[in-house]
Amino acid sequence: MSFFRITLTRSGIGLPRRTRGVLEALGLRYRMQTVFYPVTPEVAGQIMKVKELVSVREVDKALTREELREERRPDPGYYVESAVPR
Amino acid sequence: MLSRTIRKSILDTRISPSALPPTFLLPYRARYFNNTAQHVEPPTDGFNASQVAPTSSENAQPAESTSSATSPITAPTSASSTATLSPSVKELLPLLAAQPSHYISAHIHGRPYLVTAGDIVRLPFRMPGVVPGDVLRLNRASSLGSRDYTLKGAPYLDERIFECRARVMGTESEPMRFKEKTKRRNRKVNVVKSKHKFTILRISELKINDLESIES
Repeated sequence: MSFFRITLTRSGIGLPRRTRGVLEALGLRYRMQTVFYPVTPEVAGQIMKVKELVSVREVDKALTREELREERRPDPGYYVESAVPR
Repeated sequence: MLSRTIRKSILDTRISPSALPPTFLLPYRARYFNNTAQHVEPPTDGFNASQVAPTSSENAQPAESTSSATSPITAPTSASSTATLSPSVKELLPLLAAQPSHYISAHIHGRPYLVTAGDIVRLPFRMPGVVPGDVLRLNRASSLGSRDYTLKGAPYLDERIFECRARVMGTESEPMRFKEKTKRRNRKVNVVKSKHKFTILRISELKINDLESIES
C-alpha cells in the first residue's frame, strides 16, 4: 500500500475559505507540516485543490511523528573510540 | 613566474607582528578573560571515585546499569560504505596527502568545525556521556584540504578517506549570567540565572589514509 507524503510549503493565509478548508481537511495547519494519506482518488482530488501550496511524494509506508523527527536529526558525526576507565 | 613567487614570498614575510592587533585582543586570547577557569567535572551518574583507582576493589561493580541515560555513542552506526572513489579523487588524493599540513571541516551534530591538528575546540554544548581523556573519532566531514588542494564532499566526504581523532580535555563554564525579567505595571523583578557548560576538545590527529587501505 502506498501513501501520499504531503508537505505544506506555502501558507494558506489569504486564500479563499474553500482552499483553507481543504488544508484543514488534510490536517495541514502550518508550513512544512507533513501528513501521510493512502493513495485514493479522494485524497488525490484534495491535493489537486491545493496543488500550488503543497509538495507531494508517493512513498511506501507512512512515518510516525517520531520517525519524521528522526529523519531531520543530523548525524552526530563522532563516536567514542577509546574511553578512559571510569 | 619565478620572480612572481619570489615577490610573493617576500610580501608574505613582510607582514610584521606589529601589523596584528595586540595578542590579548585576538579572539583566542580573548576567551581567557571572558571565561572562568577550566574545571574537570566528574562524570555524571553512576560514577564512583573508586573506579578510577582500581586498588580499592570492593565497590567497583555497581555502575554498569546506571549509565544508560547518558550513554555515549560508542559504535560506528554503519559499516563503511563499499562505494569506490571517483577517478579524479584517486588521482589527486596522493597529492593532497603529500602536502605538509591539512585542515578539515568536521561536522558534529550537523555543525561544521573548521579545524586542524592541535586545535582546541570549545563545543557550544556539554557533550553527554564523555569524560576527560576519552578519544572521539570524528567521522563526518564536508571538506578536507591543505594549502593547495581541497577535497569537498557532497555533502559529506567518504569516511574512509581520513582519520580524525579528538581528545576530550574537560568542561568549561561561562560566567554566571543574570537576566532581569519584568512585567508591566508590576514591581516584581524576576532574575533568571544561567551558567552553561561547554566541552573542550583537542584535535589530536588528522591523517589522510592512502588509497590501498581505502580500497581494501
